[in-house]
Amino acid sequence: MEFAKKIVETTEEIFNTMIFMEVSAEAPLEQGKQALGCHVSAMIGLSGGFSAMLGIHCPETVGLAISGAMLGMEIEEIDADVKDALGEIANMVAGGLKERFSAEDIDLELAIPTAISGKSYTIASSTRSNRVIIPFSVDQGQFFIEMKYNLN
Amino acid sequence: MKYAQDIADATQEIFSSMVMLEVTPGEPLKRADNKLVDSISGIIGLAGTIKGMLAIHLPNQAALAITTAFLGMDVDEIDEDVCDAIGELANMLGGSMKTILDPGGSNVQLSMPSAIHGEEYAVDCLADAELVTVPFSFNGQTFMVELQISETN
Repeated sequence: MEFAKKIVETTEEIFNTMIFMEVSAEAPLEQGKQALGCHVSAMIGLSGGFSAMLGIHCPETVGLAISGAMLGMEIEEIDADVKDALGEIANMVAGGLKERFSAEDIDLELAIPTAISGKSYTIASSTRSNRVIIPFSVDQGQFFIEMKYNLN
Repeated sequence: MKYAQDIADATQEIFSSMVMLEVTPGEPLKRADNKLVDSISGIIGLAGTIKGMLAIHLPNQAALAITTAFLGMDVDEIDEDVCDAIGELANMLGGSMKTILDPGGSNVQLSMPSAIHGEEYAVDCLADAELVTVPFSFNGQTFMVELQISETN
């Protein structure tokens, strides 16, 4: 199913064409509990051929840079614009994955995005699910695209 | 508010049959301050002809009491078992709401649940969606069940 490859392709495409930011994917992180040190995230559920939850997790500076680039304005704090921008990115990445899986006759539907933000939070992974986390580098640091999934 | 009664009924039923706890719903509310402190949230997506997200937000103490009752074992910190239990609760609540939103059973599907916990965080509804929040209490503890739903397309 090549989850990691699809996530990398989709994310690079969206950042190149919609946000006009250069991103480079790094090696997927090891499975398990990861403290990503992030301050703003957006998550969206997928269901159909398999069930999944996709998330984008950013440290504050990276979240501000990405949403600033996307909206074409300077943003100084994690506000509603930043959450909306990240939610839209989660939505677009999930949409891109839906298209790629659809080409393999795996149909997926998207739920609606939700933002998580705060000084301190951890996103747990169910012990019964698979998880792929891919770090991406931008000038300001790293962000992470995470996908948890269950194939049955 | 639409669905508030359904959320109250579904939550009471799941708690009494699966967790063996009687919970009392309060008046549906609009959360003004969405900051959650020392809490854990379970979320699950609903996708298909109706799109949405169901969330349960619990202060740590309530989550520990519920996990202890649910799993029949003592837990005293927010660990993997608690995250799994709260994710599973979101899954069951999502399943109940799905049967209400999609009685035919073929138009709405559940995503995978996820659990978020921390000292201070906010969970925001992003889509142009309706949001219903119902508070519950049991044994002096409280928690909230929240449904955001978009029926426009």
